Amino acid sequence: MVLDSGQKVNSTDVERLVKAGRGGSREAFNELVRLYQRRAMRVAVGMLGNVDDAAEAVQAGFVRAYLGIGKLKKPEQFEAWLLRIIANTAISQQRAAKRRTEKIKIAGYYKDKKAGSPVRNGIADELKDAIQRAMLKLSKKEAKAIGLFGLKDLSHREVAEIMGCSVEAVRWYVFRARRKLRVLLKEYL
Amino acid sequence: MKDKEEKVDLLLEQNASGQLAKVDWDGLNAAISARLDEADRSKTAVRRYPTVFKVAAGIAAAAVVLIAVIIGTDKQADVQLDSGRRAVVNFIDGKGSASIEIKDTGVESRVVVDIGGGERKMAMCDIEIIDLNGELKRDKQAAWIIISRPEPMFADNGVSRDMSDMICLF
Repeated sequence: MVLDSGQKVNSTDVERLVKAGRGGSREAFNELVRLYQRRAMRVAVGMLGNVDDAAEAVQAGFVRAYLGIGKLKKPEQFEAWLLRIIANTAISQQRAAKRRTEKIKIAGYYKDKKAGSPVRNGIADELKDAIQRAMLKLSKKEAKAIGLFGLKDLSHREVAEIMGCSVEAVRWYVFRARRKLRVLLKEYL
Repeated sequence: MKDKEEKVDLLLEQNASGQLAKVDWDGLNAAISARLDEADRSKTAVRRYPTVFKVAAGIAAAAVVLIAVIIGTDKQADVQLDSGRRAVVNFIDGKGSASIEIKDTGVESRVVVDIGGGERKMAMCDIEIIDLNGELKRDKQAAWIIISRPEPMFADNGVSRDMSDMICLF
């Protein structure tokens, strides 16, 4: 397996690390973090559209994984298991952030980010904001599916396994997500 | 249409790659490591002071029952907490209201934390309800249950750290 960092990883090595991690080895888990943090971040950024929120979700996700690794029965399924945790954490965080924004809006303190922030990095920031807002319009499953598809090497079957649904359902979620995003991001297309 | 779909994918890819290029991976690794240290410290505290935590667990369990009674769920008849009884606890927290349901399964101990309001969220872990009036079971391992809420009720623990609002130990 080739990780996003370009590093080649032997699945036997990963299984060995997972087994050691299950046995309580912090060193082994640290190694797993090092190996998978880029993939985790790719999924989270794909779902949240924002690197800061993604970093927060990834940190919280790894803690959940660390606390729960003892319950992972099949070490060979570590990646799917971890990405499921990351995706779920990212979704929780996204929805919580959405509720916070809505509350602030209601309170009358909401300022449009584009207008309110004096230092912007041009089109990239504008696109980032637009994508972030658009991702909030997707359902949880659509957001997960499109985020996981950001990892180009994952097949429909693997995404389905991570999401715990059928391959057909994954195709449907991706289709719907793209259709919504096409409308929401039309000015950038 | 296909062309526009490809453009959507390209746009998402462009955004993700651009943002990931700015990530300080060593910094992120260090941040994760610090969070894991924190988790380790919590686990150590549980191991070091099991009696304290068991008493806290008893208080927490009593609080759960009390909340159930105050809120007045229609499932109160199912609440039976004898010494060492294993139970399934459904914790549902909706907009402006909360309800807690405790059911005795008799076979396995599970906690399901379900934060309602259309945004369902679930967490599971093993629990054992400890009866303060009975003898504490010294050979039992305590486990943390983190009941997280979308908004802090009592304290915000820092930037973007408002998830761990309420922590119960059983």
